[in-house]
Amino acid sequence: MIIVVVLEGLVIAVLGLLVFGLLRSHAEILKRLHDLGAGLDAGPTQAAQLPPDGPRPGRDFQVMPQVPSPPEREAFGGSADLAGIGAGGNETLTVRVTGVEHDTIVAFLSSGCLTCQRFWDAFRKPRKLGLPAGTRLVVVTKGADSESPSAIAQLAPPGLPTVMSSEAFVDYDIPGSPYFVQVHGPTGRVKGEGTGPDWDQVSSLLSQASGDADLMATLAGSQVAKPGADAERESRIDRELFEAGVAPGDPTLYSVESAEDGPEDDVGSSSRGRERPS
Amino acid sequence: MKLQAHGIETDLPPGWEGRIALRTVPGAGNRTLGEAEPGPTGTPGEVTNPVAHLANFALPEQRGDFGSGAVDVMTEADVLVVLFEYGPESVGKALFKAKGIPTRLTPAMFSASALQRTIPGQAGSQVFFTVANRAFCCYAVLGRQSAANRVLPQANATLAATRISPR
Repeated sequence: MIIVVVLEGLVIAVLGLLVFGLLRSHAEILKRLHDLGAGLDAGPTQAAQLPPDGPRPGRDFQVMPQVPSPPEREAFGGSADLAGIGAGGNETLTVRVTGVEHDTIVAFLSSGCLTCQRFWDAFRKPRKLGLPAGTRLVVVTKGADSESPSAIAQLAPPGLPTVMSSEAFVDYDIPGSPYFVQVHGPTGRVKGEGTGPDWDQVSSLLSQASGDADLMATLAGSQVAKPGADAERESRIDRELFEAGVAPGDPTLYSVESAEDGPEDDVGSSSRGRERPS
Repeated sequence: MKLQAHGIETDLPPGWEGRIALRTVPGAGNRTLGEAEPGPTGTPGEVTNPVAHLANFALPEQRGDFGSGAVDVMTEADVLVVLFEYGPESVGKALFKAKGIPTRLTPAMFSASALQRTIPGQAGSQVFFTVANRAFCCYAVLGRQSAANRVLPQANATLAATRISPR
């Protein structure tokens, strides 16, 4: 009897150890997942602990090393005219970005980052960049408080304006360098922004953004006006509905049951499924 | 948009941009031999003075003191204003007897013969003056002489918004 009790105790102890090990392993897995940002409603404290180039909650990609993560904002940032000193510090300059006929690609670079070096090299041959017609490329670095003017002078492409301005990084809400923003000159609206490991990728990205914007403009310009008879009929139906007490947004307009129950007249069938009377 | 350097300060109207620079003296920089210097380049040993380029178009990087390089890309609605400072030895000379920055440029002051380099359709004007005991030349170029009435008000407004202080 004593032997049985001892054996049972040993089995219980072993099982206890096993359960303890499993719980510890589970806790370790949860901790690792937490560190990677998995889970619901990651708070700002948790987000602040994430590595800058790593995946973020709600973001299903990871940027390459040496490439800054995109900013957390949903919309494009702002644009502003540029003012600062030129490469080498001998020149004070302003560059118009808004309120001009041409578009501008603002390239935010630094002298230190390895990826930027590819862009500095590429920009020394502006004709090979394949810039769209009527587009000006401007290089911006941080000001003399963060960059060496002589180092920037060594890197600055001779044929492109180079502006040293820390304020520009703030104005455009730049997350790091290299980073690129394409601005529509006449309106000052940002057409696209982003980054990449080399000029080919950035150029492709900006072309895509620009192409999307052009497509939207083309589609807006090619909209065909509704035929007069249709417009009149729609107007009459709206008027009759309104007189019957059915205002725009009335729930009965969106109810299938009420339409099925009601008479299959002209008004009922025409208004069914319409999102919003004009 | 404010632009200020070397005692020259201006407030550029919308659509205008500007540069104020000292010419780079060859050999003073750290560039590799044979590499192009950004902006105007002087001669070895010279004492350089500021030059301001103000324009209502995108200024190219390679420009001469009096706008060569920039005038080549001007269209008919463009205007370029150059404020070129001469050395202190020029102060008091008859050529610079006019006082103050010229702010009333008129179409009659422009002609093709005043251009540093003749380009068909373009016209230029030079006004020498002294301000704050500094001797300057205001050299203005119109992309198209026939557009003078349209673009000169912008140029005059820019000049009126320009201040030059003593060295």
